[in-house]
This record gives sequence, structure tokens and C-alpha cells, in this order.
Amino acid sequence: MWTYEKKLQYPVKITRTNPKLAQLIISQYGGPDGELGASLRYLSQRYSMPYPELKGLLTDIATEELAHFEMIGAIVYQLTRNLSRQEIEASGFDKYFVDHTAGIYPVAASGAPFTAAYVQSKGDVLTDLHEDLAADAATAKEQPPFRKARKPLI
Amino acid sequence: MNSREKLLRNLSSTQFALWELHLYLNTHPGDLTALGMHEKYALKFRQLKEEYEENYGPLTARSGEGIEWLKNPWPWDVGGCDG
Repeated sequence: MWTYEKKLQYPVKITRTNPKLAQLIISQYGGPDGELGASLRYLSQRYSMPYPELKGLLTDIATEELAHFEMIGAIVYQLTRNLSRQEIEASGFDKYFVDHTAGIYPVAASGAPFTAAYVQSKGDVLTDLHEDLAADAATAKEQPPFRKARKPLI
Repeated sequence: MNSREKLLRNLSSTQFALWELHLYLNTHPGDLTALGMHEKYALKFRQLKEEYEENYGPLTARSGEGIEWLKNPWPWDVGGCDG
């Protein structure tokens, strides 16, 4: 059971559209190291977690990942508002646009749609925790190139 | 930043601190200092949430609030690019 709060975990207020940047950020929505995968990973692993502390932690972190998923959706949505035909074509957003228009779809930056193959749930504490450590390291790895990429893209 | 956004930011930063304490308490349930801080932030969060909901409508769906719950803006609606 979940309760929805009608607010973002952190506010998103983008004043300039940027479809080129949106195409990269969307990987955090539906890509191999994205928030949706993270949430499903923890939500699925918790059933075989024997320790109450970790049942709690997996439930809470999975819930928070959904809040991150919502923020990323809001970012991509606001980056792609009211685009002109020229903006869509010049930014390379046309490849996404032909499939989804400006709808928010869980997909990787490379174009691969979201798949449960991005996560593992093995029914074994040590195996699952190693998967979680690897996933966390992958996410951390994704952030520095993003920071570097930010300047020339905006 | 308008007054709604200011209050929302204050509410969200309080909630963030409260949530981080909650995550920590999952693995350190007996830490009295953390429990005390959690209690402090929980009180502040309840007060801010009440203030926000009184002024700007419900944050969670409860029965009988129909039109108030549906009112714009929704969380993703508030960007500056809405032409």
C-alpha cells in the first residue's frame, strides 16, 4: 500500500527548454541504471530479505526511488515543452518524437525501452546486496560525466 | 519564488531531514539522539504540512475533497516554459 503526495521531493522549475539535454536525462528515467529499475530492484528483493532492518530499508529506499522517478519525469517534461518543429529537428529529438511525441516514456538515452532485464532478484541476501552495490556504483558513475556534459549542452 | 513555492521548499527540506533520519533509524533503531531529532522534525513537518494544506489544498488524497485534490498545479506543472 502506498500514499501519494502531490508534490515533488525537490521542486523542478525549468525556465528554458532543452530537448538535447532531455534525451540524456531520460536515461535516468528508463535506462539501465535509472530510477525505475532501482525502485523495482528493491521492491522485488525485499520479499526474500530475512532481516527486519533491511526489509524496512529496501521498502523505504524503493519508495524514495519512485519519488526520484517522478522528479526525472518532471525534468524531461519541462525540458520538452512547447517545442517548435525546428527545435525538434535541430536537437535530434526527432527520433524520440516520432515514437512518443512529447510523451514521457521509460527509455534509455540509447533508445532501448525499459526492461526488467536491468534488475536482478535472486532470493539470496548476499547475491542481492552485491547487485545493489553494483547498481549504486553504476549510478554514481553516471553522474560525473553528466556534470561535465552540462556546460556545452545548455 | 512565490509564497507557495517558499512554503513548499521549507516543507520539503524539513521532510528530507525527517526522511533521512527515518532511513538511519531503520538500521539504528535504538539511537536516542536520532530518535529525538526525528521527533523534532516530525513535529515541524506536521505543522508546515497543515499550513500548506490550509492555504493551497490537500497533499494527499483523502475522501470528500474531490475538486480540491484535482486542482492545478500538479507537481510537474510548475515549470517556467508554459507558453
